[in-house]
Amino acid sequence: MPTIDVRDELLAALLGAAVPEDDELERLLSTAKAEVEGYDPATGVRRVELKDTSRPDLWTTPGLARHLRCYRGDALPEYPFVSTGAAPPDTGEQVVEVDPALQKIRPCIAAFTAAGPPVSEALLLELIQSQEKLSDSFGQRRRAIAMGLYRAGAIAWPVRYRAAPPDATRFVPLGFEDELSLTEILDQHPKGKEYGHIVRGQPAFPYLEDAAGATLSFPPVINSAGLGNVEVGDDHFFVELTGPHLDTLLLVASIAACDLADAGYTIEPVLVRYPYDTAHGREVVTPRYFQAETRIELASAERLLGEAISPEEGRRLVQRMGSRARVEGSSVVVTPPPYRNDFMHAVDVVEEIAIGRGLGTFEPELPDEFTAGHLTAQTRFGRAARDVLVGLGYQEMIFNYLGARRDYTERMNAPDRVLVEVANPMTENYAVVRDSIVPCLLAAEMSSQNAAYPHHMFEVGKVALPDGGDPTGSRTVDACTLLVADRAAGFNDASAHLAALLFYLGAEHRLVELDDPRFIPGRAARVEASASAPAASAAHGGERTWTAIGVLGELHPAVLEHWSIGMPCATVELHLDPLRTTLQDT
Amino acid sequence: MNSVEQLHPLEVRTLRAAGEGPFTAADLMAAAGMNLGQCNQAFSWLVDKGLIEERERLRELRYELTDLGEQYRRDGLPEERMVALLRAAGPLPMPEIAARLGLQQRDVGSAYGALAREGVLAMDRGRRVRAAGGDSARVATVRGLLDRLAGAGPAAVEALTDAEREQAAALSRKRGAARGVFRATETETVSYALTAAGEEMRRGAAAAGLSGVEAGALTPDMLADGSWRAVQFRRYNVNSPPGRVLLGRRNPYTAYLDRVRDQLTALGFEEFDGPLVETNFWCCDALFMPQFHAARDEHDVYFIKEPRHASHLPEPYLQRVAATHADGWQTGSRGWGYRFDPDFARRTILRSHGTVVSAKTLTRAKVPGKYFGIMRCFRPDDVDASHLADFYQTEGIVLGEQVNLKTLLGLLKLFAEEVAGAASADVRYEPAYFPFTEPSVEVFIRHPTVGWIELGGSGIFRPEVTRPLGVDVPVLAWGLGIDRMAMMSLGIDDIRDLFSPDLDQVRRRVAH
Repeated sequence: MPTIDVRDELLAALLGAAVPEDDELERLLSTAKAEVEGYDPATGVRRVELKDTSRPDLWTTPGLARHLRCYRGDALPEYPFVSTGAAPPDTGEQVVEVDPALQKIRPCIAAFTAAGPPVSEALLLELIQSQEKLSDSFGQRRRAIAMGLYRAGAIAWPVRYRAAPPDATRFVPLGFEDELSLTEILDQHPKGKEYGHIVRGQPAFPYLEDAAGATLSFPPVINSAGLGNVEVGDDHFFVELTGPHLDTLLLVASIAACDLADAGYTIEPVLVRYPYDTAHGREVVTPRYFQAETRIELASAERLLGEAISPEEGRRLVQRMGSRARVEGSSVVVTPPPYRNDFMHAVDVVEEIAIGRGLGTFEPELPDEFTAGHLTAQTRFGRAARDVLVGLGYQEMIFNYLGARRDYTERMNAPDRVLVEVANPMTENYAVVRDSIVPCLLAAEMSSQNAAYPHHMFEVGKVALPDGGDPTGSRTVDACTLLVADRAAGFNDASAHLAALLFYLGAEHRLVELDDPRFIPGRAARVEASASAPAASAAHGGERTWTAIGVLGELHPAVLEHWSIGMPCATVELHLDPLRTTLQDT
Repeated sequence: MNSVEQLHPLEVRTLRAAGEGPFTAADLMAAAGMNLGQCNQAFSWLVDKGLIEERERLRELRYELTDLGEQYRRDGLPEERMVALLRAAGPLPMPEIAARLGLQQRDVGSAYGALAREGVLAMDRGRRVRAAGGDSARVATVRGLLDRLAGAGPAAVEALTDAEREQAAALSRKRGAARGVFRATETETVSYALTAAGEEMRRGAAAAGLSGVEAGALTPDMLADGSWRAVQFRRYNVNSPPGRVLLGRRNPYTAYLDRVRDQLTALGFEEFDGPLVETNFWCCDALFMPQFHAARDEHDVYFIKEPRHASHLPEPYLQRVAATHADGWQTGSRGWGYRFDPDFARRTILRSHGTVVSAKTLTRAKVPGKYFGIMRCFRPDDVDASHLADFYQTEGIVLGEQVNLKTLLGLLKLFAEEVAGAASADVRYEPAYFPFTEPSVEVFIRHPTVGWIELGGSGIFRPEVTRPLGVDVPVLAWGLGIDRMAMMSLGIDDIRDLFSPDLDQVRRRVAH
């Protein structure tokens, strides 16, 4: 979710009124799903978080101001410079010619010019912020949208959007003194390092120059230090957007153009001439309207809102939220403004109606349909195990599931253990999903050596076990693990507690000696369980079946040394799911 | 403050046995039947309390018999035995004396030397020893001392004659030496006297009828033989600190989660659960998040290293979801208008939100139905006081013909009041955005100290989510910020403490 700076000075000018008091402003911003994060009275700058990622038109101060004007009842603004395919205006010399080789590199471009008053510092900061938010946040870090702003007065038309040889093409990038080739920019310029991956590997790179051969930019990476260097006081701008999808560019071009129009600039369209087909033909005048109408039956709105809305009321509320709408019988037909493309389904209109009227005007109701609540069998069984362990004197713990690989391998004397691992860990401390709770308990013991002994700890929680038989390559099971640490703690303590636990869960068990590098040889066992005698024999005709459900062992001193633990420890780890299944089968 | 009730029984006995003048441990042992250890303990406590004070320290040297001394008393001193032998058998050479008496020649030699100087023995020309007539006053003194110490026990040095003192000192073993006839022990006897406060306390104890021999514990024997009737039980200091007990206990955080589970089941919700490892398909695609969505890249989701892809995804859901992303399929939507990548959909990930299980539950849900789950989720975040790499989300769905915006608000109100304990006036709803719900609502509650806080998010699932999964009724989806609610309930301000590995910290956390 983007956060933007909103300057009081600019907001007041765009509202044509003083900025509302804090409470009122917050209430109004909530209708735009925006929230004030902070305000600096010294600079008059508010940090505003925009939660609606489908409404990039609200990510700018002019866009937010436009919403607030509509919501308070102002007429919807007109933006006649946005044309349709049916009647494209003559753009005169303002033409962009596209190189055929770009079709496979970065095929689309939209552009316009804006002329007006010398740009103030506040507005220039706003324009740079919009460029960043729209390109980086909405434009997938410039992959989908890269936006450039230039001094239009110095441009010789037509502008050429072409595929340039990376090594032979040279210019002075913004922030540098000397010419670099496009390849050198990728290696040396901070923006090249940040965004170069979008074009790297292509035989030629996107490149914008004017008719006189002056460089505008190397999209989506960096502007030139010449035409691309806009400063406070400039009054005539060329704006262009490049990317793979034309409609995305048309949307953002309209956002930028309407914002500048609201700030007092005259927008002049640009004709883009493609040598290949696009969704809107080979000659596309931008800014251009491309959206479709959305129709909603008021009956379906009633179903979702829980009360009836008249068509006229629906139309009025949609307009209050910033879109033109008309009534057709029992339907409302919505024509989105050029800077919006978020009506994918009629339900999107329903929400406009709800917010337009105010969520507070809908009375909360409880459905009267009856449903029976219950817990999962896992939860109920886990609770039974936890109750017994608490009765045995164990303190329940709860741990994180992500951990360091070495804690589950080397430190457990099991360097080759196969785990579910994260491909993109932030740090090696959170790089594997635990397959056992024993290391978690040892980590707790390690950091609890000042706590009064004896230590009895347990957790009932999930572990992920690699399993080639599962479509995702692993299974999640509920584990129940206890650890006892004390001067004289050992196998026998853990075994006695295991016996008590299984007795009260209704299971009989036997221990089968086990070789496990985590434990002292001869002091480790596999735990096998069977339902208690009468039930089991009834179910299997006297034939007792045993299911492996876990391990019991006295931890190897080498393991304790790896964890810097100075007390003997013994542990039991059970998998509750097979145990529960065993008991249910009888 | 001293009060009679706070005196230990030993202190009471000491005070009550103390007379007008100074007293020693020996006096008390005789008068109050206390042993030396009890006396010393009581003196130490009473001095600390200022109830008695030290008067005098007496050093005393006493002699007693050693084992050797006892043997000499019984069998005779070597000198006595030599004289008796020689008088009976006539002159004998020294080696023969030693052999006959079973003594070392060296000892015989030194005994002879002393007795010869005293004129009791002499040597003839044949180097034989003979009795010269006369007795040794020295030997007689030693004999007298042996008999006396054996009869009357240890004697103070002051009780001995000068001759006896001289012999006792000469024949005493020094502390640690191997042999000696007498053992000299030096003791120090301290005498105490009551202070004015002690005298007052003694009168107070007497007035209160305290003897100091009140019983401590009631025993089964007293109950069996009825002797408790004759016993006065000592009053305890009820303010003395109790011992620490290490007990088994539920973890406060899991107890909180269980309480939420119970509240939700009480509200008619059925619990669901799912695996930690999921696919992009269920986590995002089925929720109509486009595959190019910003929250789907490696900065927001943990991908699994191996296997990178699930072997397959269930049909018909894969086909339907893919078509819905492309052009809306039969959902009434125009879709996202891009080519859906089924391989990316099979990519394995750690679930990044609990809504994944809501989506899967839609394929088997009852109508009407209410479901919830408390699920561990994973996100690549820098771990700090407010972020964890894995944490809990509480999410759920409600299916039914009656699900709409008003029942959505009703449910949020129910959560705010029943689960978070908010007053109905302290609940506020705000428009929200989630890619998979429309309309979407966030609910805020007013916390008494923190102010308005977000309790959770919710909305009505988009038809693009429900239809491909086979559901035609409206579905309400909701989630609660459970970790934050737990932190407020438990008074924790660092989220890492919810999962604390510190046993002492967990042991000490108060239960709610």
